[in-house]
Amino acid sequence: MDDYAAVIAMLNHTWFGAELAPETQERLARLGDIQDFEVDEVILHEGDETRAMGILVSGRLALRTLVPERGPVTILSVEPGDIFGWSAVLNDGQAQSTVVATEASRALVIDGVKLRAALKEDHALAASLYPRVLKAVARRLRATRLQLLDLFAR
Amino acid sequence: MITNPVPNPAAVARQWFLAHSDLDDLIQALRKAGRIVIGPTVRDGAIVNDEIQSAADLPAGVRDEQTAGRYRLAERSDERVFGYTVGPTPWKRFTFPPILPIATAHVSGSFGFEQPKIVAPQLAFLGVRACEIAALGMQDRVFLGSPFTDEDFRARRKAALIVAVQCTTCSSTCFCSSMGTGPEVRGGYDILLTEIDEGFVVQAGSPAGAAIVAHLPTRRPTHAETGAAVDVVEAVRTQIGEPLPIAGIDQRLKRQLDNPRWSVVAERCVECGNCTMSCPTCFCTSVTERSDMEGRTSVTERQWDSCFDVNFARVAGGDFRARPRDRYRQWLTHKFSTWMDQFGSFGCVGCGRCITWCPVQIDVREELQAIAPVIQPIERPVAVEPVAASPGRYSLARLASVKEETEDTTTLSLTDLDPAFLGGRPGQFVMVALPAFPAVPISISRFRSNGNDLTIRAVGPTSTALVNLHPGAKVGVRGPLGTFWPIEDAYGRHAVVVAGGVGLSPLHGLVEALVANRDRFESVSLYYGSRTPEDQLFRDDLVAWSAGKSIDVAVTVDRAGPEWKGRVGVVTTLFDMMSCDCSRITAFVVGPERMMQASVQSLISKGVPPERINVSMERHMECGIGLCGHCQTGPYFVCKDGPVFRLSELGDLYVREGI
Repeated sequence: MDDYAAVIAMLNHTWFGAELAPETQERLARLGDIQDFEVDEVILHEGDETRAMGILVSGRLALRTLVPERGPVTILSVEPGDIFGWSAVLNDGQAQSTVVATEASRALVIDGVKLRAALKEDHALAASLYPRVLKAVARRLRATRLQLLDLFAR
Repeated sequence: MITNPVPNPAAVARQWFLAHSDLDDLIQALRKAGRIVIGPTVRDGAIVNDEIQSAADLPAGVRDEQTAGRYRLAERSDERVFGYTVGPTPWKRFTFPPILPIATAHVSGSFGFEQPKIVAPQLAFLGVRACEIAALGMQDRVFLGSPFTDEDFRARRKAALIVAVQCTTCSSTCFCSSMGTGPEVRGGYDILLTEIDEGFVVQAGSPAGAAIVAHLPTRRPTHAETGAAVDVVEAVRTQIGEPLPIAGIDQRLKRQLDNPRWSVVAERCVECGNCTMSCPTCFCTSVTERSDMEGRTSVTERQWDSCFDVNFARVAGGDFRARPRDRYRQWLTHKFSTWMDQFGSFGCVGCGRCITWCPVQIDVREELQAIAPVIQPIERPVAVEPVAASPGRYSLARLASVKEETEDTTTLSLTDLDPAFLGGRPGQFVMVALPAFPAVPISISRFRSNGNDLTIRAVGPTSTALVNLHPGAKVGVRGPLGTFWPIEDAYGRHAVVVAGGVGLSPLHGLVEALVANRDRFESVSLYYGSRTPEDQLFRDDLVAWSAGKSIDVAVTVDRAGPEWKGRVGVVTTLFDMMSCDCSRITAFVVGPERMMQASVQSLISKGVPPERINVSMERHMECGIGLCGHCQTGPYFVCKDGPVFRLSELGDLYVREGI
């Protein structure tokens, strides 16, 4: 099984990719490059332009934000099947947090310019991808709200 | 209100026999009495009710095959004329016409409205089944049972003579026995026929019926014939099978207005309205105006309508039932719930027409079972008799050891306990008291052979005093109290434990029991979320459970510093790891109420049945035996009826503001 076949197989086991049409999975896999990240490697810096969107294949990433006097705080971890750098679907997307590999990780990384061009040209791809990106963002929003409530505090 | 003919006891006792060859005499007697006879006849591949002239018009030797979405005629091996069940024509067509002019307006200089004269033809309905007699009775209550009555209906109903027929066969779609309307005819007829091999056993149910029977070439039936007439109906009841659990469904449906199944069935429903048009009790109508070309005469007509029509609930500003699921819910809840409030009975007679004539095979019986099933109370093992149950009485225990779990949470190991405490079950709690401190409820976090562990978070005076005790100290305990985790409910299923923060404490004993009996469960998973890595309880146990590999352990924290390499996110994000058939999960959930709510919503959306989700509720508890009232939640005292509840037991009470 080549790397792309492995990515497609992995997509089938995630909420993000499970119900994508095979041709859409293939298109996504071919659009991107498979990249490996070492532990503690910074993939994206908070505030930088988001040049690529990634789908994590294996490992774990941390989304961190810098809090004055507290240092970097991990606000969410990205698990296999989830995405990072979602703002690459926007023309002027900025990274909302710093993305760091906390385990040796592998991801399908899709260049933002290529991704946006593909979404503009391939409506079927856009119709499949946009709701999933929105769902990923909505999940983070909901999780963040619950975290804000600080449920476990006294 | 029309009252159904009540059989004269003497007439009922009297039975006659009419040969098959003489059935036409009955039809002709009815016609001679000035009645138009409406009876079953084959047309367009179905047995419909329409005017018949003679017995030759009846469907002799014809049977029907009915399943969901399918109706076919077939040949019988005999020449019986009523050897089928019910066709697509409800009798309401003749008492409650599909289109009825109700007013005419004339414009000629001035204008005025005229009501049409009520003309009710003298009809005889031949072949009315038990369920259909019940349907006529239901429409009596609708149209005649209130101060505002439908006089057209009254006249038509009064003018109709009912010749009922006992069912001698049934379809897979029949469920009259569930609705209590059949299969045997028990009243509401003028003449009753029971078809057997040689002919008909005949009974009269009214003077009008007896007068007709008097003109027929009948004889006394033999014992064998009357016996056969009884047996054939009883055989149909057996053939229909076990009744559905209909009792109480009106109330159960009221609690299921947000059931996701409404959306599922609405995706199948094409909203053709066949169910309402073929239903013998549906009575919804709309009024339309029909004008001539010059606008001089306008006729107001009442027409059958359907609550499935997209415009049925529309007003100028929008539509109150805009979604298909709204309309399906309206129909089903009216039939089986709110009809009861309005008319004192269900609005369904179990004829099965809505099932047969549904083009997408929606079976109302399946939907009722899926949306509002009977929750069978699962028997819980009997709890051990608590020690010192009365408030103020305490049994003494000795503190054997103290272990700090986190900065503010400590586990106390008690020993020298009354043996009853050792017989407690995971999920139960004890009331713990120290002199000069109010007693507090504390979950039992571990059951040891010689004592119990209590894991206590210091949040108030008593709990702070307790966590500062040293080994050898004495404490007062009452218990074990309350309900416990129904671990047996997870046998053979996927056991999923969801814990948040100190919620792992009342679940700790359960996880140990699941691990100890691992082979009884298909799988065991623990999903644990805490505020930070430092707030995790029972860290040694979490590591041991993970290392043992007999159960899956996944932990997450709400926030962490860069040194934490594990998951960060709320506990529900862990549910993405579930790869099993979620309908086979039995879940046990404890944590802050908002966290439990999010977890429960997520579990339900993944398909975990609500009756398989168990939660432990936290309330202000003082007496521990349901007498002080502090912890009352709806009909429950959490200390006595809980703290462990099935979600389905709590219903709308769960996470309801102000309860």
